Amino acid sequence: MGVVFRPIAERRTYRELLFLLSGAPLAAAWFGLLLAGWLAVGLLSVTPLVVPALVAFRWATWLAAEAEATIARSLLGVDARVPRPPRGARGYWGRIRAGLSDPTFWAQQLYLMLRTTLGLAIAVGLAAFTAASGYLVVLPAAYRFGSQDVFGVHVHSLPVALAFVPVGLLGLLAAVWLVRGMAAIWSRLVPMLAEPFAATAPRTEMQALLRRALPAHAIFYGGLNVLLVVIWAATTRGYFWPEWTLMSLALPLAVHAWTVFVDSGDFRRIARTRALAIDLGAASTLFLFLVAVWAVTRRGYFWPMWPGLGLAVVVGLHALSTMTRRIDVLTTTRAGAVDAAESELRRIERDLHDGAQARLVALGMSIGMAEQKLESDPHAARQLLAEARAGAGDALRELRDLARGIHPPILADRGLEAALAALVARVPLAVELRIDLAERLPDAVESAAYFVAAEALANASKHAGASRVDIRAVLMGDAVVVTVMDDGRGGANPDGAGLRGLRARVEALDGTFRVDSPPGGPTIVEAVMPCAS
Amino acid sequence: MRVVIAEDLALLRDGLMRLLRDNGFDVVAAVEDGDALVRKVLLEEPDIAIVDVRLPPTFRDEGLRAALEARSRRPATAILIVSQYVEHAYADELLADGRGGVGYLLKDRIMDVDEFVDAVRRVAAGGTALDPEVVSQLFTNRRSGPLDRLSPRELEVLALMAEGRSNTAIADALVITVGAVEKHVASILQKLDLPPSESDHRRVLAALEYLKA
Repeated sequence: MGVVFRPIAERRTYRELLFLLSGAPLAAAWFGLLLAGWLAVGLLSVTPLVVPALVAFRWATWLAAEAEATIARSLLGVDARVPRPPRGARGYWGRIRAGLSDPTFWAQQLYLMLRTTLGLAIAVGLAAFTAASGYLVVLPAAYRFGSQDVFGVHVHSLPVALAFVPVGLLGLLAAVWLVRGMAAIWSRLVPMLAEPFAATAPRTEMQALLRRALPAHAIFYGGLNVLLVVIWAATTRGYFWPEWTLMSLALPLAVHAWTVFVDSGDFRRIARTRALAIDLGAASTLFLFLVAVWAVTRRGYFWPMWPGLGLAVVVGLHALSTMTRRIDVLTTTRAGAVDAAESELRRIERDLHDGAQARLVALGMSIGMAEQKLESDPHAARQLLAEARAGAGDALRELRDLARGIHPPILADRGLEAALAALVARVPLAVELRIDLAERLPDAVESAAYFVAAEALANASKHAGASRVDIRAVLMGDAVVVTVMDDGRGGANPDGAGLRGLRARVEALDGTFRVDSPPGGPTIVEAVMPCAS
Repeated sequence: MRVVIAEDLALLRDGLMRLLRDNGFDVVAAVEDGDALVRKVLLEEPDIAIVDVRLPPTFRDEGLRAALEARSRRPATAILIVSQYVEHAYADELLADGRGGVGYLLKDRIMDVDEFVDAVRRVAAGGTALDPEVVSQLFTNRRSGPLDRLSPRELEVLALMAEGRSNTAIADALVITVGAVEKHVASILQKLDLPPSESDHRRVLAALEYLKA
């Protein structure tokens, strides 16, 4: 029982209350900042002044994020280290691109935006709820000053007023727990300021983040609306105004849930692209929202038809452009795959011709000469035969290496993990291997994954002078993600023969291939391949 | 000595059969796939089965699996796996039961007939024969450690020990006396803190265990 009342005595509760209430004044400030920033960038976008405007906006956002981080640290006790915007972008377009492509910048804006919307709603709702509950507690003293109606009951005497005191106390207790709960949820949002969607694998990390955040989002939606409905019930009771928050907050929640659903796999196979699937979901949600607005208002003329048509056109155009882009991609990747296979075959032919075939010719010659000398000079014949045997050994070794380069036998026998372990055993480097695959991948994906790791590992030891390499292969939804990271000197050329061949191979499987190798390192090679059959 | 051969390529099967017969072995059966191998081992009770890793119908590691099955059903069977390629993961599976009488060699080694015949005899007698490739894979990825304390000569001796050779064979290979080999072995065991062992096979397992750790 004591547990229920404990938060009342804890200072932490009041710090958290202060944090949630700070949402109201800060909402105004951040709304002003974001509005001014985007207005400035938007209006100046046709002039060269857009660069200083964007840079200033970025730094202002950083300052705001820093302020939010300080508030969160002192009031919520959540530590978020906000990184300074990186410098070093050069040139007009370089700076614009650096600004717009910085995930931290966007994540910080998103946080500030949440603060201006949800934060404001929480602050106002919480203040109203607490004030209403507090008012019920002091009702015995207050009812004399004018007649009062509470929950439809006319309060005109002390006993009636006293009867409401426990309700008020219960409300205050509920408010304390609401503060704890919402502060706990908000604490999970604070890290957005610092490490938005980690730098290595933006898309997959982002997907994981979205998936993890969905329950919190849903609880938040439910909690806030219950709170508002309670406030509505406790106060005016007239027009059901919480329907507006119910509907409008359902919009982002629905889009969020839809995004997670799309990433979970099955749908993507139908719609082929994530962006189109999300667009479709968002458009349908928006349309349903408008229909709901129409339904709860005057009804009459079905005006949502027009925005609905507009949305349909947008989705249609998106689908069309996706389809044409898809055709382009298929055309290029097919050409790339054919080229890569062609040059691979040429390389194998050359290796056979210059290597094993030549060795077998020499072997035949040695044996022929030995045959001649068998009678006349048995000693020389013995020597020739020994040479022939050594030559056969060399030819075998060369053929074995060639075969391994085409398709390592252990990959077919035992799968990716065993093949990579065998590969790692052959290089004199410290390699950490983290393979997390529930089952065998489709053959083509498995061997592409193997060769991505093999080529990256060879580059790390031959060119990058690395001492440590991390190889990771994990399943994310219906895709396998292979990441190879080394601590070498970087500067790998993604258009070199080896990496270009890998790209062609991965793209032919409808995957994406990325090389990130700034001078000075580290080098990260990442391949994401769908493995749905 | 009674031998069963499992090899799907007729050319190699016949060559191997001829080579073994020439060297005084009694080849009692030569089969093409894993099921036949298990059947023949149970029927003919050979001293040793010489098995290719890759056999029909899947052409993966069928031979290795069949050999392990034959050995589990008739534990007295020694097995020598021969292959176009070696993977130390397979060597681990062969050595997993901790008993001797196993071997794993590249087919290349057959060309050195004397040494190959010696390896067959050694495995049939309960010893071990590991391909130098397997051993060198284990050496490649060693980080600095106690191995640094070994002299170059001692490293060579350790590698030959891990291949399963006897002191006499090591002496022959390095062209030194058996006494010198014994001294090196004692020094290695002491430096690496390995237990001295009575049988060659135990010695191999200890050396491999050490290299893998």
